[in-house]
Amino acid sequence: MASNSILVIGGGFAGLTAALEAAEIGHEVFIIEKTPFLGGRVMQLNKYFPKLCPPSCGLEIQYQRIKNNPNVKFFTLAEVTKVEGSVGNYEVTVRIKPRYAGPSSPDLSDLCAELSTEVVNDFEFGLSNRKPVYMDAPFAFPQRYVVDKASLSEADKGKVQKCDYLDLTEEEKTITLSVGSIVIATGWKPYDVTNLSNLGAGAVKNCISNMQMERLASPYGPTSGAILRPSDGRAPKKVAFVQCAGSRDENHLHYCSYICCMASLKQAQYVREQYPDAEVTIYYIDLRTPGRYDNFAKKILADEKIFAVKGKVAAVEQDKAGDDVWVTVEDAVSCAKSVERFDLVVLATGMQPSLAGASLPIDVPVDAEGFIVGGEEKGIFAAGCAKQPLDVMKSAQSATGAAMKAIQTVRGR
Amino acid sequence: MSKTIKIEPNLQFVKELQEVGGADLKKCYQCATCSVACPMSPADSPYPRKEMVWAQWGLKDKLVNDIDIWLCHNCGTCSELCPRGAKPGDLLGALRNMTYRTLVKPAIVGKWMSSPKHLPILAGIPMAIFAFIWMIRAALVGSFFPLTEDGKIVYGNLFPGDFTIDPLFGLVAIFVAICFGLGIKNMIDGFKANVPETFVIGYKRPTLKDAIIATIKYDVLQHSRFKNCVDSPADEERVKGHQILFYGFVACAIVTTVVAVGHWGGKVIPLLAPIGHTPMPLWHPVKILANIGAVLLVTGLTLLTRRRLNSDTKKSVSNYYDWYLLGVIWVVTLTGIGAQIFRLAGTAPLAFFTYYLHLVSIFMLIAYLPWSKLGHLVYRTTALIYARYVGRLPIDEKLIEDDKIFVI
Repeated sequence: MASNSILVIGGGFAGLTAALEAAEIGHEVFIIEKTPFLGGRVMQLNKYFPKLCPPSCGLEIQYQRIKNNPNVKFFTLAEVTKVEGSVGNYEVTVRIKPRYAGPSSPDLSDLCAELSTEVVNDFEFGLSNRKPVYMDAPFAFPQRYVVDKASLSEADKGKVQKCDYLDLTEEEKTITLSVGSIVIATGWKPYDVTNLSNLGAGAVKNCISNMQMERLASPYGPTSGAILRPSDGRAPKKVAFVQCAGSRDENHLHYCSYICCMASLKQAQYVREQYPDAEVTIYYIDLRTPGRYDNFAKKILADEKIFAVKGKVAAVEQDKAGDDVWVTVEDAVSCAKSVERFDLVVLATGMQPSLAGASLPIDVPVDAEGFIVGGEEKGIFAAGCAKQPLDVMKSAQSATGAAMKAIQTVRGR
Repeated sequence: MSKTIKIEPNLQFVKELQEVGGADLKKCYQCATCSVACPMSPADSPYPRKEMVWAQWGLKDKLVNDIDIWLCHNCGTCSELCPRGAKPGDLLGALRNMTYRTLVKPAIVGKWMSSPKHLPILAGIPMAIFAFIWMIRAALVGSFFPLTEDGKIVYGNLFPGDFTIDPLFGLVAIFVAICFGLGIKNMIDGFKANVPETFVIGYKRPTLKDAIIATIKYDVLQHSRFKNCVDSPADEERVKGHQILFYGFVACAIVTTVVAVGHWGGKVIPLLAPIGHTPMPLWHPVKILANIGAVLLVTGLTLLTRRRLNSDTKKSVSNYYDWYLLGVIWVVTLTGIGAQIFRLAGTAPLAFFTYYLHLVSIFMLIAYLPWSKLGHLVYRTTALIYARYVGRLPIDEKLIEDDKIFVI
């Protein structure tokens, strides 16, 4: 039976935008989100372009729009397992993992404090630990705790069972949805630094990724916003940014990840705002500052303690005696190769599509890198970074475009 | 930019470089990963990034006088980490090939050595010379496969050292030595004009004599620089193979010298004569050394050939210069061993023919030396001595912690 509903896979900025655009025109929309919370990668940022807002700024409006719009139905901890049918008439099977937490949203922080188990916090990219009953961020949406049942110790289980709002007996569910069109907004993941063997492969103590830097700078992050070295909690005086860490590289990601140059300039500003004496060096192949971003780059590079050096860092090593990091680089303008000591090194790792190495149960063509390159004739549209590396603004634009195409597909059915 | 540089691109040179092994040089986007990845690259004007841009721009003058192509020992780490697959390691190899081709005259030999299509000429020259000697001698002694009175095979009876082999190879050696001399002069003149002198606090500049001794002791005999270029088992096999092969050559060179000194010296001091008398019995110390040399050659060749056959073409592509040298050394080694075995077995026609091929291949190894990859024996050694002399050393060998590196 034909349907004028729309399925959106992925509840990040692109998915939310596409869903709301379609819902506000009157279509029923289902958002399927794999993690326990909406908001995606933007939730993990300290500030985001173009206006350097904190994530709560843009996302809370989106959350409000979702709450106020009965056309939007979202499922967290959910994954599409099967898609049958054809354009205008899809039957989608969704598996929903149990959250073990009821629909009301009480503050369970007292209970969390009592629990003894600690688990590596993936939301903080391993910079801190979390309890097995948790929320990612204070403004997480939905405002409901989630229980990581597999990580609960026996003692913790007893405590959780006593809580009226949590229910460890909840079972996995499978639902079926009828939709006419599908928007895929599965987004991106940071490129795995362990592949970057010459850049320390994630094993150098104070060599972090740019997404870890976002968490360090975030007021809701592991250091409450103070940029400190992970190894000893010291304030860094010399910070290096290593551009193209895995991007524009035949051995890793073949393409430019678009946003890392801007991210590093932005993060250089985080460092300089906190530490008036700190020096920042950005090592790059080409500083790519598209469009109006160039004005931002000019402003940042005017800071006399921010240096930009043309030359790709090709060796990152831990100091033999301490926690400092040694970086080897050739300044391609002055033709000098040097080994420099830094307190903190940030790898500007690129965006890899979430679908790289994974697959959706949907028959859409993806390229060798995992970006979606087709499927429109089937009423399936890619939005955001599932399609190509983008910033938040362009991701939202691409989501609006995908929503428009999805609406045209289901219109009149 | 303090001074204006007029760029004079030589597009033909770019094409030639691409033909002799730098096929992917245009893929480079100047990120400088290679200069950092190289364990041998110095702090000031490191290589091979600058060579990549010179090659793309066709700056022939800069490249032909570049000492750095010889400091590279071709481990391939730069090519492995290259984000564009531009193979900087192969480009430096191509530049060395270019040097073999053009550094010394007569240029025609360089041209013959650059492509397999000229192989018939290169092989034809010694084949004709030795066939001519063979025919003359056969006419004189009355047999193409002459035996001694007691039925033994003595190669000297067909190709007598005194007035065929020794004068011929003596002239070849003089010719090669002169060519190398001119080559070294050309190289050093180029280096003087182009190599920056590095002033390092705490680094005492050696005398030329000390630089020569250190280079021969560490870089040549111990392969110590070469051993810095190891980051995989295949690299280790390469260094091992090269060193074994090198010592095989050293053993054979000692044998040849002893025989020559014994033979010619024996004419002045008769006491020396028996040392230079060939063929030697198998128990003779010099003969034992010769056979040890042969075993080393086969072992080294096997390691090096196996590595080339198994090497990842994404990392490095073997070219004609590589295969010519390996091929000729294989023929020299196998015909040398064969000539001994067939001589002892008494199979006259086969023994003489194998010995003939041995002479041909040795001629191909030695007479074309300055234009072949084996020329690196002289050119690289020259460059390494010069680099030591002016302090152009890998960054690790300097006082990097103190940041006391200055270029003047």
